[in-house]
Amino acid sequence: MKIEEIEKLKNEGVEHLPSKERRDFLRLGLVVTGVFAGGSILSLMSAKRGHADVEGIVLKQYSYKPHYSMVIRQDRCIDCQRCMDACVKTNHVPDYGYRTTILERELVIGPGSKQREFMPVLCNHCNRPPCVRVCPTRATYKDKKTGIVRMDIKKCIGCKTCMAACPYNARYFNEEIRAIDKCDFCWENRLSKGETLTACAAACPADVRIFGDISDPSSRVYKLVHEPERVVWVLRPETGTLPNVFYTKG
Amino acid sequence: MKKMIVVVICSIFICLSVCLSYKIVLAGDDDEGGGPILFTKPVKAVLFDHKTHLGFGYSCEDCHDKLFEEAKGTAEEKGDFTMKSLYAGKYCGACHNGETAFASNTKCAVCHIGVKGMNRLTKTGKK
Ligand code: SF4
Ligand code: SF4
Ligand code: SF4
Repeated sequence: MKIEEIEKLKNEGVEHLPSKERRDFLRLGLVVTGVFAGGSILSLMSAKRGHADVEGIVLKQYSYKPHYSMVIRQDRCIDCQRCMDACVKTNHVPDYGYRTTILERELVIGPGSKQREFMPVLCNHCNRPPCVRVCPTRATYKDKKTGIVRMDIKKCIGCKTCMAACPYNARYFNEEIRAIDKCDFCWENRLSKGETLTACAAACPADVRIFGDISDPSSRVYKLVHEPERVVWVLRPETGTLPNVFYTKG
Repeated sequence: MKKMIVVVICSIFICLSVCLSYKIVLAGDDDEGGGPILFTKPVKAVLFDHKTHLGFGYSCEDCHDKLFEEAKGTAEEKGDFTMKSLYAGKYCGACHNGETAFASNTKCAVCHIGVKGMNRLTKTGKK
């Protein structure tokens, strides 16, 4: 994924958006408020306000309990990479691999004037994960309870089909375990041991990565995503993956 | 013969890039007005450019030694060189308060060039 592809931040209107895509996001409690960069970015907003926009659709519950999700407050990221270091340490990521990384771009904000911007990316723990769909051995699967997309490395035959299928480039082949490795929202090394935050969220000094249960209205992730007027977006919505990693500013 | 030319071109290129990185890293001491300063603590990395700030009409005495001692690296050794101090009007925060200059809690990536920016400045050739 190239950051340049998603940088034309001009709202192209939602008229041509397939209604199916709108409905899918409405099911998540979000309405689509804009399309950017030829459809690679949708901006979303809490459905409360926009509910009347699409009539006759009843909001469903979030699919999992807890329904883990991350909100990334993008403009606060300073690329200090403490999240990456924490992830590497916690999850024993080799130096050629990554479970999360920081993208960088320069926005032109005026004549001769540019503004740097950093953007953390990780697995989106998609509600409709193409990686899971294509895996021939079911080595990668969507956890029925938490919605986390996980790996059963014993079943992985290293065919890399999932790597090709992931629109977010969120997977790599780990030579040591001879299997695909990816972000598991720190399930194995933290959440399953009683921690409530992922390593990257806990390590971030700028409070960029907000992690939690989006089905719980008292959680920070729920509040951020459902704040009226706050614009939230996901990456590459046109692929129909329904990400659980949301982006916002401020 | 071809090989020779390639070797020559390569060594010119390597010399050039070494010189460039050397210049950037060491500029701090020689350049008029201090040159660029790269802070790597408490987080990687913040770029302060003396030239830009002098261009706004400030003089050395406006910051030295009230806000920053002149010797490079002294602020970083102090425990309170943090954003919290900046918000309280110390260090950069004396001007970056929303009045004299943009507030310290806004436009993070103007000063924070990150690990990527740091690598570009210090290890030429590495991404
Ligand atoms: S730790 Fe936070 S601020 Fe630093 S690079 Fe990661 S997300 Fe960005
Ligand atoms: S981001 Fe990629 S690896 Fe993660 S669930 Fe979606 S398709 Fe799978
Ligand atoms: S959630 Fe855990 S595994 Fe995923 S990127 Fe963050 S630290 Fe790495």
